[in-house]
Formats: sequence, structure tokens, C-alpha cells
Amino acid sequence: MYCANCGVKLADTEARCPLCGTRAYHPDLQREPAEPLYPAGRYPDAAQKKRVWSILLTVLFALPIPTVLICDLRFGDPGLTWSGIVVGALCTLYVMSVLPAWFKRPNPVIFVPCSFAAVGGYLWLLDYLLSGVDWFWTFALPVTGGVAVIVSAVVTLMRYVRRGQLFIFGGALVAFGGLMLLIEFLMTITFPPIRFVAWSLYPLSTFVLIGGWLIFLGICRPARELMQRKFFI
Amino acid sequence: MRSPFSKQPPPLHWMPLDNAAKIYPAARRPNWTNVYRLSADLSEPVDVPTLQSALGTVVRRFPSMAARLRRGVFWYYLQELSAPPTVREEACYPLTYMSKAEARRCALRVIVYKNRVAVEIFHSLTDGNGALVFLKTLLAEYLERRYGVTVPATHGVLDRHDRPAPEELEDSFQKYSGALPASRREHTAWHLSGTPEQGAFLNLTCLHLPADATLAKAHEYGVSVTALLCAVMMMALQRWQAEVVPLRKKRKPVRVLIPVNLRRLYGSRTLRNFVMYTTPEILPQLGDYEFEEICRIVKSQMGLDITPKQMSMKIAVNVNSERLMAVRVMPLFIKNIVMKIIFNTVGECKSCLSLSNLGMVQLPEEMRPYVRRFDFILGVQASAPYNCGVLAYDNTIYVNFIRNICESPLERHFYEVLRELGLPVTAESNQREEDDDVLRELRR
Repeated sequence: MYCANCGVKLADTEARCPLCGTRAYHPDLQREPAEPLYPAGRYPDAAQKKRVWSILLTVLFALPIPTVLICDLRFGDPGLTWSGIVVGALCTLYVMSVLPAWFKRPNPVIFVPCSFAAVGGYLWLLDYLLSGVDWFWTFALPVTGGVAVIVSAVVTLMRYVRRGQLFIFGGALVAFGGLMLLIEFLMTITFPPIRFVAWSLYPLSTFVLIGGWLIFLGICRPARELMQRKFFI
Repeated sequence: MRSPFSKQPPPLHWMPLDNAAKIYPAARRPNWTNVYRLSADLSEPVDVPTLQSALGTVVRRFPSMAARLRRGVFWYYLQELSAPPTVREEACYPLTYMSKAEARRCALRVIVYKNRVAVEIFHSLTDGNGALVFLKTLLAEYLERRYGVTVPATHGVLDRHDRPAPEELEDSFQKYSGALPASRREHTAWHLSGTPEQGAFLNLTCLHLPADATLAKAHEYGVSVTALLCAVMMMALQRWQAEVVPLRKKRKPVRVLIPVNLRRLYGSRTLRNFVMYTTPEILPQLGDYEFEEICRIVKSQMGLDITPKQMSMKIAVNVNSERLMAVRVMPLFIKNIVMKIIFNTVGECKSCLSLSNLGMVQLPEEMRPYVRRFDFILGVQASAPYNCGVLAYDNTIYVNFIRNICESPLERHFYEVLRELGLPVTAESNQREEDDDVLRELRR
């Protein structure tokens, strides 16, 4: 069979022309299925190397834990104090960086919320270990939760929705602007001497302006094309 | 001397890398090694246990090829394998990445897929001509065991039961280095580029041409088949560049690297690397070239370069650098950094791609009924996305393009030039279908 577009003769193995991509089809010709040149879908296995790295990194993260625990018990104040902070930080870093490497194709929609959960857990630990103002429930948790929701939503939409990136990022920026307002409000109720002076309105207005501009570009095609013409690299 | 009563096995051969081989381990990247493939399609499906036992016999004849790459303090070296490599299964694309760990275990792969036997070799072991001798000898041993035919040691097939001759293991670059070095100064060539392919996949496109018609066409233009194919390639590159760089003064030189087998030039019998190169060039900034004009340029450039004296000057550049005392005493890790910088600045960037032609593959008459086809596939370059390997067998020329980008403009232009010359072309490939699960996953 010959390619209808470029005219090259196609081997029986070809469903499309390898030169121009045109699908090989002729209404009067029945093609016999031929053996492919290479076995389709059989990819080399790269998991072995990845697994070795994952094990090595896990060992690297695990090694300091008994050392700091022993040092803290032996030389520090009675009970576990500073070692808890170190161990918590190591565990948080591990969840964020090494845990996804154990999986062949880690899905960020799962691992991004997991990372925020680890950060939240670490902040709770800090609040628990460092006695003083109780800031976790009224400040750290809502702020971390808010950032987690926005970032996870962006990651999920970017992964599963093929178009509309301008709307996704525009919406995320507007949401971040709203979060600024929330942060200032939470700071005033958690840390009493601080008063509400409305500084958050400045980042809010900036985020809303940029986010709104992105959404406008998403809606208005001529404006989008103008921006592409002016700013292409 | 080793005692005849010693129960210890004989020490394994080791040898320093030859002059050309030294650059390849240093130039390696996390996703790229200089590996190439030679394959033969047989008339019947390959019997893997028979091939494995044939491989066990043949590897002893080729200690420089059935080898692993080891690190010394100052240089890399090759060490003969204690056992033959295991025959492997084919993946969905050729020349999958050879990691450092794999080259340390064995820098040679033998792969089977249905009727096809393929060898993939790290370039530090040997060049295409050496690998072709290995593949033919392996096939001869396999056919003897499988079908009981007696294959004579002719046409590049070696006697499997002989011991390797010292001249087969020599570094011929040292022997034929000239008194004067050539200059390294060359223009930087046009850098080919495209959308990177997902998941390290390599696209292979094989074009089949009738050898007799191509030879007649080459004679019509007064050039060899290699020069004709090089001219076609340069014409295709010129057209592609004109498409993507419309402003003429911004265009870059089009240069194709053609490896030259030095064994014929110097009468060497080495089975290690012994190739140099010539790089015909056109300057599209000056205007569009006609096909006849490119043929004349390629012919004259090859005629000037491919002489023993000229090649000895090119050899001398690399051999002199290697012999410098300051270089020799430099620890390997520093040497690797320096060689990588040299490779990046004066290596690949001086040509658009390689066009390596192994010529017409000859086989003993006893083997011919069992072998249907040969293929020669180069790996892509470290930074450029294309390469092209050519050989001819049984009145067909197989032109194998490999690329790690999605688009195929070079193959298309190459075919168009061939069509204009009146040569019939058949195309086949390993392109992925849309229903490939991994492809769908990667595109998310």
C-alpha cells in the first residue's frame, strides 16, 4: 500500500505513514495484519534503579533518627525535647521527597495533599513540643489547609483537564488573594497584640488583578492572541 | 608463569581502551550512552537456547567485545567476561539506555525478537565493522548448531575455535598516527531540534531502496553510494532548515559526519575501534544548492579527506592529546570532566548528524539461504536528536533513521529527494499507536 499523502510505499506493518502520519487506508484493499517491527508496548524496566535509590535515601533519612534520640535522652533535659523536632522534620521531608519515588508513576493528585498533611502534622508537633501560645488550631491548621486545598485543586485540574489553564491559574490567584485576608484575620485572633490593619488588602488586590487578567485572557481570544504576539519567546 | 597444576581459572584478559573509545565513557549522560545496534533477520524464528550456547562459544573468540567496562585510577579499561551475556528479549524500541551499572556488568547485549538476532554494543568496545564481524560469526555458529551447515571462515566470518590474534586486539590508532596533527577548527553546524519524545522512546524509521537502482543513480552523478546518500541527506537538511529558519543570513552550515573505515585504508585487522570521519559541508547562507552541486562538494571533500596521509593527521590530534604526560597522570574523575567539556565544545556540535554506511554485507554462500536481512541502527547523539545508519544486503539498501523527537521532517525530506531522483522507497517504523497505555499515561 502507498501513502495517500506523500506517496511512499508502506510496509505491511504500518498503520500510519511514518513520514507524514497519514493513516494507511484504501477502500478496495484488504490488508493482512503483519508482525510489528518491534513488540508494541514492551518498555524497558527502569524500576530496579529507582528502587535502589529509594532504599538508599530511606536509609539516609532513617540513620540520624536513633542518633538524635539517644543524644537527646543522654545529654538533654529529661524526656524527649529537641529530638522530636528533628525527627518530625526528617519525616516531613521524607514524605514530601522520597515517598513518591517508591511508586512507578506517582500521582501528584495523591502526593500533594499527603505532603500538606505531613507539613500540618509537623506544625502540630511543634505547637505541642514548644509550650507557649496555642497557635496550631486557630492559625497554622486553617492556613495550611487553605494552601493545601488551592494547590491540590490546581494540581488535580492541571492533570485531568486538558484545557483552561488560564482559568485554573487565574482562579487559584484570586483564591490566594482571599487567603491573605484570612491569614491577617487569623493572626489578629491568635496573636492578641497584633491588630487588624488591613495590610492583606494589598496582596489581595494584586492577586485579584493578576488572576482576573488571566481569566479575562481565557475568555477573550483576541486579547490572548495579542499577548502571544507581543510576548512570545 | 602459571603452574599447569593450578586449580585457579586463567586470568581474564584486560586491555586499555583504544584511542577513540576513551571519549565515550566520559561523554556519557544520565539519559544517553553511545550504543549502536546491528541485527540480522533469519528465515525462521530464532531458537534461544541454541543461540545462547553459540554465544558461549563465540565470546571466547572476541575477548575485546564480550567485555565489561571497568574504572581504573587513571583510565577506564575493558575486562573480558567470565561468562557469556544472557540473551535478552526485545523492547518496543531499539537501543534502550545502557546504564553505568550495566556497562560494568557487560557492555554488549544480544537480543532476540521472533526471527531477529540483534547485538547492541557500547561504542568503547568496537566500531560498526568490528561488530559486524562479531554478528556474522555468531550467526555462523548458530546456523551450524541449528541446521548442521558447515560455514567456512570467509567473508568476515572468523573461525570460532581459533585464538584471537594479537593484531585483532591492537589499538591501531597508535600505530598509524601521523607526524603532524590536523586542525580541530570547524564551523558549528546547524543544530537539529524538535519536540522531545516522551518516556525515552526512540522512533525508528527504516527506508528500503533497491541497491542496483541506487548504484546506477550514483554512477549517473559520478559518485559512490555513500556520497549519493550523503548528498540526499544534505539536500534534505537544507530544505528542513529553509522551512524553520526563513531568514537566510540566520541559517547555519549543514554538515554531515561520515565515519570512514580505516581498516581498508591501512590494511589493519583490528576488531576494536578504527574509524575516523570526514565532514562534507554546505553553507546555506550563501544560497540554495542544487543536488548536482552538493554531489560535487561531497565527492571532492571525501576525495581530499579519505587518504592515508590526511587520516593520519586526524588520528594524530587525538593520539597526541592522549600521550601528554599531564593528561596521563590526571585522575580519571578529572579527566572525565575535561573530556566531557571537549566533547561538548568540539564534538557533536560540529555536525548535524552522522551518516554511517557499512556498505554491502557479504556472507558465505552457505549462510545466505538462512539470512533475509541486516540492519544497522546508530543511537541518537547526546544533544542532537537524529542519527542514520545504512547498510546493504541482498540488493536492498536499509537506511535506518533514529530520533528522539516526535516529528519526522528529516525522513520526509529525505524521501522527497529520493522520489525526485526516481528511486522507489518503502518505509517501515516502530511508531507507537494511540492505544499504547504508557503513551496515554505519559501524555496526561
